[in-house]
Amino acid sequence: MIAFLARRLVTLLSTLIVAALVIFCVTEVLPGDPAAVMLGLSATPETIAALRAELGLDAPVVVRFLRWMTGFVTGDLGISYAYRVPVAGLIAERLQVTLPLAIMASLFASILGITLGALAASRANSLVDSALMAAAQAGLAIPNFWFGILMVLVFAIGLGWFPAGGFPGWDAGVVDSLRALFLPAFALALPQGAVLARLTRTAVLEALGEDFVRTARAKGLTAGQTLRRHVLRNAMVPVITMLALQFSFLITGTIIIENVFALPGLGRLIFQSVGGHDLVTVKSLVMIYVGAVILVNAGVDMAYGLIDPRLRFGRGVGR
Amino acid sequence: MIDRALRHPSFVLGLSITLLVLGVALLAMIWTPFDPTAMRISARLRPPSATNWLGTDQFGRDVLSMLMMGARNALLVGVVAVGIGLSIGVALGMMAATREGSLLDEAIMRICDFTFAFPAVLTAILILTFLGPGLVNAILAIGIFNIPVFARIARGASLQVMARDYIRAAQAAGRSTFGILHRHVLPNITGILIVQASVQFALAILAEAGLSYLGIGTQPPNPSWGRMLNDSQTYFAQAAYLAIFPGAAIALCVLGFNLLGDGLRDVLDPKSKER
Repeated sequence: MIAFLARRLVTLLSTLIVAALVIFCVTEVLPGDPAAVMLGLSATPETIAALRAELGLDAPVVVRFLRWMTGFVTGDLGISYAYRVPVAGLIAERLQVTLPLAIMASLFASILGITLGALAASRANSLVDSALMAAAQAGLAIPNFWFGILMVLVFAIGLGWFPAGGFPGWDAGVVDSLRALFLPAFALALPQGAVLARLTRTAVLEALGEDFVRTARAKGLTAGQTLRRHVLRNAMVPVITMLALQFSFLITGTIIIENVFALPGLGRLIFQSVGGHDLVTVKSLVMIYVGAVILVNAGVDMAYGLIDPRLRFGRGVGR
Repeated sequence: MIDRALRHPSFVLGLSITLLVLGVALLAMIWTPFDPTAMRISARLRPPSATNWLGTDQFGRDVLSMLMMGARNALLVGVVAVGIGLSIGVALGMMAATREGSLLDEAIMRICDFTFAFPAVLTAILILTFLGPGLVNAILAIGIFNIPVFARIARGASLQVMARDYIRAAQAAGRSTFGILHRHVLPNITGILIVQASVQFALAILAEAGLSYLGIGTQPPNPSWGRMLNDSQTYFAQAAYLAIFPGAAIALCVLGFNLLGDGLRDVLDPKSKER
């Protein structure tokens, strides 16, 4: 058990370090002189030298890498070139939009996906089932940013229930902020919900064929009680795994959706920093995104090992 | 098998949609109602009419013509991006399978695992900023992410096939490793690769639409569905139809390939029911 966790932790740490090395090389070593890249064509040798000194680029590569890594612990990730404020503070500020957005989207996706998937399974091969599965197919095909645009047309411009974009800030009022996040979260949740609905339906159908369902019905539980207490619980393992594994799709989704709704979150920040060649900010932002995906996947892997001892010796989940 | 396929509803529907899109894309190469890049400011933002079936955009360009040309671009992205993934990925995956457990196998699979940690759209944005925006670079950026997908599937499927008796028989008969892979393994994993290819095709079209929406995919004046959606947001109040048609085109195209993939999975491998 401890050996398993230790092995997984070593893999996790080495993956994180390799990821950091790759990101560091792409943003600091490959472009040649990052200062020249950031300043663009109109830069003079003097301004480039000044920026090099400001960014600490004169230090050896190894020192710069270690400085960056310790920055994640101390919270000093340098000064954003485009915004002229500390990167760590910038990221913390933007997380206040992206994190609630991602949580709301996961919540919507799970509620919709699990309820509708279970409903479809309990009425398998009926008209309701076919309609729900057709809707799920549509949900997979509709690009979430188009769905967002359509919802703006109907619910923001047409009915005026929600703002068409922008974010008032949590200080300006929690209700208004949640309202601003509602449509984007819903748009993000659409493909996720569709995937979860299909998976839940399959998992529930499988669980419905088990012996314990007959036992539960035999001891007098209604069909609904059996579904909630026994079937859903057994069907939830693959569904929760999928929810975690889809995390990577969710956070890339936020990059596009935040641009649709002009939300000042991490996704918009990364898009703007990449466009503005703000390599200082890009480097740490990408690391945070990639690190989050690696951590979530490792978490799923370890949780599985804890639940099912057979997986402790294999190559992990989904391989 | 063809008989069974033609009675499978999602296969038939998926095939019809993809053939329709393909037909439109081919037609666009020789004929569109108007020149999709011709601007006529006097005819800007005209709602759908008998002349411009789907209306005109903010520069007076014909939306239907742009959509048709967009279909060509979308299919181009799918074909090349999936082609890159298939050719390199399958070669890597089969190579890993022949040397299962070796350092090479371990290295290929570790690199595949590793690339999955990099969210595709995020990395594509980075690649496109360094290489410069554009259709070709977008295809490259999307294609790269198809490589590990196909490598993993090809490895897994090849290992299953290689455990069969007829592979041992071929080895005993003195066939070379390459000969076995080419004559016996590849034909037996083609089905699963085709199914995955149609799913990846749909994902590639979605990814290109997203990148073009962000303005770093296909560049104007070359029309793209994603770009058209981005432009439409400026003219919401005057011309809502501009936001409807390009999105519907993306959704229809993706739906077609997804249904085709679902159908093919059932037809080619009746044992594995829908996941």
